[in-house]
Amino acid sequence: MFEEKLKEFEPIFYPKSIAVVGASATSIKAGSLWVENLRSAGFPGLIYPVGSSGGRIGDLKILPSLRLIPGEVDYVIVAVPRQSALELLDDCAAKNVKAVHFFTAGFSETDTQQGRKLEEQMLDKARQGNMRIIGPNCIGVYCPEHRIPLLMGILGENGSVGFVSQSGGIATKLVTIGIARHINYSKGVSFGNGIDLDASDFLQYMAADPKTKVIGAYLEGTRDGTRLFKTMRKVAEVKPLVVWKGGRTEAGAQAALSHTGSLASSAAVWSAALKQAGAIEVHSLEELTDTLLIFQQFGHGQGIRAAIIGGLADGGGGNSVAAGDACIENGLQVPPLSFETKRKLSELLGEVGGILCNPIDVSQAQFRGLATLFQAIDLIVKDTIGDVVLIQEDTEILLPIYSQKGLEEINEFFIELAGRQNKPVIVVLPPGSVEANRLRIEQRLLEASIPVFGSMERAARAICRLNQYSCWQEAK
Amino acid sequence: MVMSQNLLTEVESKELLKKAGIPVVEAKLARSKKEAVSLSREMGFPVVLKISSTDVVHKSDSGGVKLGLANAAQVGKSYSQIISSVKQAYPEARIDGVSVQTMAPPGVEVIVGMSKDAQFGPVLMFGLGGILVEVLKDVSFRIVPVTERDAREMIKEIKGYPVLQGYRGQKPASIPALEQLIVKVSQFVEKNPQIKELDLNPIFAYPDKAVAVDARIILE
Repeated sequence: MFEEKLKEFEPIFYPKSIAVVGASATSIKAGSLWVENLRSAGFPGLIYPVGSSGGRIGDLKILPSLRLIPGEVDYVIVAVPRQSALELLDDCAAKNVKAVHFFTAGFSETDTQQGRKLEEQMLDKARQGNMRIIGPNCIGVYCPEHRIPLLMGILGENGSVGFVSQSGGIATKLVTIGIARHINYSKGVSFGNGIDLDASDFLQYMAADPKTKVIGAYLEGTRDGTRLFKTMRKVAEVKPLVVWKGGRTEAGAQAALSHTGSLASSAAVWSAALKQAGAIEVHSLEELTDTLLIFQQFGHGQGIRAAIIGGLADGGGGNSVAAGDACIENGLQVPPLSFETKRKLSELLGEVGGILCNPIDVSQAQFRGLATLFQAIDLIVKDTIGDVVLIQEDTEILLPIYSQKGLEEINEFFIELAGRQNKPVIVVLPPGSVEANRLRIEQRLLEASIPVFGSMERAARAICRLNQYSCWQEAK
Repeated sequence: MVMSQNLLTEVESKELLKKAGIPVVEAKLARSKKEAVSLSREMGFPVVLKISSTDVVHKSDSGGVKLGLANAAQVGKSYSQIISSVKQAYPEARIDGVSVQTMAPPGVEVIVGMSKDAQFGPVLMFGLGGILVEVLKDVSFRIVPVTERDAREMIKEIKGYPVLQGYRGQKPASIPALEQLIVKVSQFVEKNPQIKELDLNPIFAYPDKAVAVDARIILE
């Protein structure tokens, strides 16, 4: 599907050469920053700084005009004022440039006749010159595989998650949260006003891209809702598509108009369009990243019956009750353990003190050692009542009882457990009083591809969304 | 008040809908008392008379609707009453006459509407009739074209869905019939982009079918 986009977008995500217009040797301009960041990220292609000041950035000579670049130019990043936009597009056309990314702002998002008119003229020039425009008013492309960082030089690991964002700020957040939570992107784009290439184009490309397994999108509006709707419908058929629509409230919609020049539709219509297209709607950055994380790890849903394990050392009672509520209220099922598992657990842990139904409070294991704890967890994982295993881990309770070494051992056991059987293992690791220890564990688990969430509610919602996609696929 | 040339009358609206295969309680225009009586006889009693004027937006409030008329005498009397009370309420209104239709037996009241969204174009709305739509906004939306699956989901999505399954002795509504009706409305508005708004309100849903009792169409 949309295979033609792969070739068309090759110069955008895998350019052989990039020219940066608006570079300067002396001042800290956005253009110079781009050149520096591409260099330090190790961009494998040619970089041509262009600017009126002359001089050098490192070993790269700043050329006074795009037309003076000796070789071919695939992709141009523009960071000069909008007054130069049209002239610059003439230069690009003369050089046979494939795509032009305008970082420059001040167009239709200012809601002025002038801004809109300039956009139309730019579009005309791009069409005549057979070029594509990204933006204006955006930070453009991110492609770790091809060493293209975000504006501030941010570059995470190469992965399988694609993102499409109307906003550069949200794009940056997606990447930085991604770095923190091991959500690794195949590529991403922020397209701002999207006067030429917009969400539909990039979604089509990512649907075709064999390196992208799941797609996240942040959208504020669209110039062609019919096309976007039809595109989403097709994309969701082949890959999970998670969409966060910004500007759902009146205040948000007004902000969206001045941000990316987007018109408002009612939130209810957007929700309907997303549902109908088979996209998964989320309502915040937190939900978007939670959902992308779980899709990255598991690809598709495996059911919504959760076996919840709590009280690894102590304090399991109330937490287990709360965990059960949180899971069920967010759409999971929490069936009781089988009679057989219950019997074996009570033999192992003793009958008093723990809650051996589901959520399962295994805190009695603290008196019998880690081997017993692991045995108990194994029994629960083997019980067929659960499709997924949710473990609540409270670092500040475990640490004084088992010490740092025990804590590490427990988490290595989770990693080993996740690797040797098919049920997804998900860890809930709420913030507490020993943040430094907790963060180390979180990083270790995430590195080992175990999704970690800050609360039971967030984990439950993410699992349900995984399942929502599978149900949609099955009902087709 | 709506620009009158863009608002189709109930009779005109229902003719278009009927041609598109959307089940409606057919209405015919009577320009005189005599015509109203003969149309009633043709259709069979009991009948409903409604004022036919694109200038009258609130038909019931102005005394422009008479329900359950059982014989020719009642029809004749009601015709005169409707004309005179509407003239009083809307002295400027241009009146075509009175529409005549058979009185549909009571069913579960639902509504289907279409309006145009700034970004997604025609959007269908579904809800239960009366207070549930007006006060609780218990409605669902889908973008045109609406498939059978979309229609099924939009019906099941409303909170009042159990009402359609039969409630306190009320007979259930045929979900397949409602699905069909929604899909046909979607096809109808897709083929006719000049339609700006459409309202089937109410639709009576029965165990075996669903029929639009009132309808109005506004053109661009």
